Amino acid sequence: MKQEFNLSRIGLFMRRDLAIYKGTFSTGLLVAIVLIFLFSILNMVWDQQLDLGEFFGIFGLFYIPVGVLFTFSVFREFNNPKSNHLYLALPISIPERLAAKWLLTSVVYTLVFTFLAIIVGTFAVTMGTIVFNADFTLLSFFSEEYWKVVKVYFIIQPLFLVGAITFAKNRIGKTILVLGLLVLGFMLFNFILFGIFNHSYGVFSENSLGSEAISKAGTDFSTIGSWFYGLLFGPLMLVVAYFKMTEKEV
Amino acid sequence: MDFDNSKPIYLQIVDFFYENILVKRWQEEERIPSVREVAMMVEVNPNTAIRAFNHLQDLEVIYNKRGIGYFVSSNGYTKVLEIKRKEFMEQLLPEVVKKMSLLGITFDELKNAYNQQENEKK
Amino acid sequence: MLTVRHLNFNYPSSRPVLKSINLDFRPGNIYGLFGKNGEGKSTLMKIMTGLLFPKTGDCTLDQVSAKKRSVLGLQHIFLVPEDFELPSLSIATFEKTQSPFYPEFSKEQFYTLIEEFKLYPTEVISKLSFGQKKKVLIAFGIATNTKVLLMDEPTNGLDIPSKSQFRKVMASTVDETKCVVISTHQVRDLHSLINHVVILDNARVVFDYALGIVSERLWFGKPSNSDEPSILYSESSFGGKAILPRMGNNETEVDLELLFNGVLSEPHKINTILKNTHDETGV
Repeated sequence: MKQEFNLSRIGLFMRRDLAIYKGTFSTGLLVAIVLIFLFSILNMVWDQQLDLGEFFGIFGLFYIPVGVLFTFSVFREFNNPKSNHLYLALPISIPERLAAKWLLTSVVYTLVFTFLAIIVGTFAVTMGTIVFNADFTLLSFFSEEYWKVVKVYFIIQPLFLVGAITFAKNRIGKTILVLGLLVLGFMLFNFILFGIFNHSYGVFSENSLGSEAISKAGTDFSTIGSWFYGLLFGPLMLVVAYFKMTEKEV
Repeated sequence: MDFDNSKPIYLQIVDFFYENILVKRWQEEERIPSVREVAMMVEVNPNTAIRAFNHLQDLEVIYNKRGIGYFVSSNGYTKVLEIKRKEFMEQLLPEVVKKMSLLGITFDELKNAYNQQENEKK
Repeated sequence: MLTVRHLNFNYPSSRPVLKSINLDFRPGNIYGLFGKNGEGKSTLMKIMTGLLFPKTGDCTLDQVSAKKRSVLGLQHIFLVPEDFELPSLSIATFEKTQSPFYPEFSKEQFYTLIEEFKLYPTEVISKLSFGQKKKVLIAFGIATNTKVLLMDEPTNGLDIPSKSQFRKVMASTVDETKCVVISTHQVRDLHSLINHVVILDNARVVFDYALGIVSERLWFGKPSNSDEPSILYSESSFGGKAILPRMGNNETEVDLELLFNGVLSEPHKINTILKNTHDETGV
């Protein structure tokens, strides 16, 4: 097992990915950072303040899509039939490959993106305070708003990882479609569960309760549900990604 | 090296050695290139080169100093001369004689041509 | 070292590409893998590297199955495919990011080869011609010093001086610990390098002999009239060359092109004669 899971190889593989996708990474980050800056400024022009909720709203608007984009881009070599011989024949095991890809597109990406966003955001707030007389807000990632965004990314990112591995063409579109279907499926599932559990209380005797059931299901999904799915969904997707990677051929 | 298609490559390498020894490019008791170097020089599989070295070693034209390399034997030049003379007499000459009789060239004609060429050289 | 046993392969909904293949590749040899186009040479090489999975049967390198794609297996095999793309990095960056995965990789050897191929470490790979890219990958493959080096049509895309460079480089790298397999249809480019021939035809191995055995038993050349009855195979062209049993004749160099054509049209005649040698000499 030691032969098949080696931390230094994971590091080397991440370094290799960074070298290959350097261009994509730097362009993506640059565009996102510039846009975060502009949006923050615009927000302060509008209401003379940038509270944490607003800032991390803007942050999430770029952090998640750019992360998804990176997740897809690091599998470009993997999906190209002319270049994947080099990827597939590289002496590194599947768990190592998966660990490296996941670490790079979730942990490393989040650290770098957060760091840059906080700097740019603070810069924007400082500028806003001086130029537009806006209220000063200390941007910190020790805030609930930040962790909420990060949590969402960490839950959905493995699904995009699977999508990036599974589909050869229109990868992003197909994955979003699957994500939509999954969410719909979960909603339906919760709705049915809600119906079964509350059947004896005569939920369906009045028409108005139907909509209440949906909203209840929604609440369930966001409380116990999100805890349950969040804890299970990500790892489950990583397991799926592992098997998908194992069966990949040129 | 361009190879003659009919003669085994290892024998062509042997010929290449003979020539180097006959023109004294490789002196007696001098180190000659290694198997790998020869393989590279003539662009052949090292196994083929080894066969040529073994052949020459069997004929005592070259010898192996363990750990150092191959050397031309002390009487390497004489050996090669002997081999090539024998080859000339036994293989080349019969061919020439056969061709001569086929073309009706007499021995005197040949002698004249030979002398003429020798004079030109001088 | 590299062993193929009862291997079958076909692409989804197509005819079999490889049928019950059994082969043994041993160190110290340069194998020539020949076959008409589409006879599964590239497929076989991809299976040996674990890039494709066999339908049945297996391919093992020192008892490690290729389809497992284990680190231990992959560290000892390198494939230079016929057609490929490399990341758009400089040659030096490519080496730095790719080589640490191969424990026996020699930097010195790589840069010597790069220099020999008239390339510079600072050149960006994506801006090179296809032939030059191929040289980069060949140099890298050799420098990995893997036990097995597979090359699919390595001389395709190389100009004439580069082919000669390639032969020199190959002649200098093979030793008793390494096994090289070269698939090609350009027999002329490589005949002096190869010492064992494997021919694939109709998805099967139709020939698998060391050239030493071939030249011991077969004679290649222009036959005289008296040879007529014993001819195994002859080219139809005027004054054509032929393959004959060698009997007591002088050893001739194996004409690979002639052998290839001969095996494809008269596989049984030729194999029978070689097989008999096998038994007699106990090889």
